[in-house]
Amino acid sequence: MKNFQQNLKALEATDTQVLGVSMDSAFANKAFADQIGVTFPLLSDWGGKVTHEWGIYKDEYQAPRRVNFLIGKDGKILEEQVDKDAIDPKKIVDACPRPTLKN
Amino acid sequence: MQRRLPKMAAAAMLAAALAFSTAVPIAAQTKKSAEGTMPKVGDVAPDFTLQYFDGKDRKDVSLSQYRGKKNVVLAFYVFAFTGG
Repeated sequence: MKNFQQNLKALEATDTQVLGVSMDSAFANKAFADQIGVTFPLLSDWGGKVTHEWGIYKDEYQAPRRVNFLIGKDGKILEEQVDKDAIDPKKIVDACPRPTLKN
Repeated sequence: MQRRLPKMAAAAMLAAALAFSTAVPIAAQTKKSAEGTMPKVGDVAPDFTLQYFDGKDRKDVSLSQYRGKKNVVLAFYVFAFTGG
């Protein structure tokens, strides 16, 4: 999440809203956000309904996998990163200023 | 009437037992059907509404509220208070 915070200005400059999602409670996520200085919303998927629906739940973790999606204004997925590749969001950040997104 | 009561009770118990025995497989099926496949690049992202806590209130956020307005980075992470 810190990685996105560090790139937040660049992302916001391209009309991009960042949202974190985990299966922690909304309150735990707020404490986490405060601790690491995250200013964008960390959403609580308590019970994991969305995590399951999106096929991201991992039995081994009993929690979501680490996945980043970039979703365009038309609601379509433009880019995604999974597991280890999702730690560094560069691919997502670089994809944002592409002219195709500015519609 | 007095004599039929035990029969009715037995029938009710049988019905309850049947309902219970079928409840488990039904629940298992429901869970399985809720397990989606991860959307791919080019797919329309499934909508959802989730909450976050802003320090005062819990606020709803839906993916669809950004449609036509903003791109969205959706970052699923494993647990709060872990790295990355």
